[in-house]
Amino acid sequence: MTAINPSIQPPHASLWLKSWQHFKQDRIGMLGLLIVLLYFLLACGVWLGLWGQGWSEISAQFNQGPSASHWLGTNAIGQDVAERGIYATKVAFEVGLVVTVLATLLGVLLGAVAGFYQGSWIDALLLWVMGVLDSIPFYLFVAAVAYAMAEHVFAMHMAMIAVFWTTVARIIRSEVIALKQLEFVEAAQAMGQHHRAILWAHIIPNTSHLIIIQTTLIFVTAIKTEVILSFLGIGIKNGISWGLMIAESTNDIQAGYFNNFLTASLLLFVLVIGFNFFSDALQDALDPKINSHHAK
Amino acid sequence: MNTWLFIGKKLLEGIPLVLGVTLVSFMLMVHFGPDLTYSLLSKNASPEAINEIRSVLGYDQPFWQRYLHYLSELLRFDFGLSMVKDQPVSTMLQEAMPVSLLLMLPGFVLGNLLALVLASKAAQHRGQWQDKTIMAVAVMGMSISFLIVIIGFQLIFSSSYGLNWFPVRGWQVFDAEGHFSWLAYAKYVTVPTLAIVFVSLGYNTRFYRAVLVEELNKDHVTTARAFGHGPGAIQYKYMLKNALVPITTRVLFSIPLVVISGSLLIESYFGIPGIGMVTYDAIVAGDQPVLKAIVGLTAVLFVAVLTGAEILYRWFDPRIALK
Repeated sequence: MTAINPSIQPPHASLWLKSWQHFKQDRIGMLGLLIVLLYFLLACGVWLGLWGQGWSEISAQFNQGPSASHWLGTNAIGQDVAERGIYATKVAFEVGLVVTVLATLLGVLLGAVAGFYQGSWIDALLLWVMGVLDSIPFYLFVAAVAYAMAEHVFAMHMAMIAVFWTTVARIIRSEVIALKQLEFVEAAQAMGQHHRAILWAHIIPNTSHLIIIQTTLIFVTAIKTEVILSFLGIGIKNGISWGLMIAESTNDIQAGYFNNFLTASLLLFVLVIGFNFFSDALQDALDPKINSHHAK
Repeated sequence: MNTWLFIGKKLLEGIPLVLGVTLVSFMLMVHFGPDLTYSLLSKNASPEAINEIRSVLGYDQPFWQRYLHYLSELLRFDFGLSMVKDQPVSTMLQEAMPVSLLLMLPGFVLGNLLALVLASKAAQHRGQWQDKTIMAVAVMGMSISFLIVIIGFQLIFSSSYGLNWFPVRGWQVFDAEGHFSWLAYAKYVTVPTLAIVFVSLGYNTRFYRAVLVEELNKDHVTTARAFGHGPGAIQYKYMLKNALVPITTRVLFSIPLVVISGSLLIESYFGIPGIGMVTYDAIVAGDQPVLKAIVGLTAVLFVAVLTGAEILYRWFDPRIALK
């Protein structure tokens, strides 16, 4: 991977361009991106108040099949399943975005610090904290946090952030350890730059491809986890989510009504598979090791 | 490094982790947890009764003393009575543990073995249609939530809307005389096993394929092929054995995930009285003695398993001792 002839190494900006061109050729990856963007539009529409606003309205039409007025039918208390599914998309994106942004930030910051001061007490402390958090089974940790925070609305978000950052931190830490031994860091040191400036200006930006990959992975994990936690009753408290719809549906199913279950699980499945396609293609396009493999 | 010294060092390294996980579960469950005084008292309790309960719960003691008390509870495997069922927590756990093991084990083993078979097929035909098909199906399998698989499989196999071959709920694996019945066990364990295999197959296949492909690229495998060894011999003798370290790590790391998280969903949905069901009931009811026991014990167990694994690695790969 070290360039033998520096003249053929492309300038910095075109590396991203090259990755994008590589990504564009991956048809399944593009399909994934399209799916994710469509869901994002759906969620934006709810935020802007365009659709999904009548999710909690009750009507006298119980457990109806799909019709022109209720596209995906109604549930046991006459609520429109399509509206609920659409509104739940927004909830899923909110959970995904909040957890992803905060867990990634925390992971990058702490991972970079641990890697940069490798072997110091701060590294040892951070590794210990990561080891401790990784040792507690995740769903139990969420249950414990929910219990300790006395059913706080954001207990689930906090618990996910507290657990998910460790993966990011471990990856960034080992990348920073590898990067700080390279010549460009030595050059920056020789020019008298402060070590903190080196970390922020030179090392962390060079981990951005890993950070992007991790954000996609955390996002999809957060959405899947939200569904399971909401089903268990320790997730979303206000509003509706796919997990809550599935929890509702366990009663409907026994009576032979599948509107809730099919809507929520299909919406979840398509988003997750889209994200998995997107994330796989992104890893291929951004990982320089795999790139050099393709070039051969 | 001397083997005993190595083992001793690893055991010492596990101590801070054990202290860490117990401290976290203590802080969450006991220290910051809700005040239980009034949920244990009847209405219009006298100040004396309140004080008595508070001292039984240890609220009048300093932080460190209460933490040490929690540690001793874990060591003695004695957590007092459950708040919901009038039963010692340790008895509840002892009764539930074998149920969870019997329930999760077949799916766990099958899920790994099947994945290994599929992954070696994919790795053998790397880049060809067999590989592409297997990996595409794996991604699809990964994208279906565990929850949906459980509900869907119950619908397909156990309900009158589907095949209706298996019981919907429960765990009656003992016959009228109280003997364990393999037939009944097979009836109750099949659908959960299918669900576990289905959910873990995608992740496991991707993992095993990555491990095998990495081994395939190594020089000694090329050499073995040049010497004319058959693909079977190469796969088992030269690749799988070398890949034992990442594979063991993976299997060990997935145990708490499968046993606790998996059984939480499966047992609560199928009404099977294992650890997952006990945990689910405790979460729903806020049963603190049960929760603090399960959180603390599983975390400590996980650290113990990890420490054991690191000692085992030295046996698989003597180079590890040099690092």
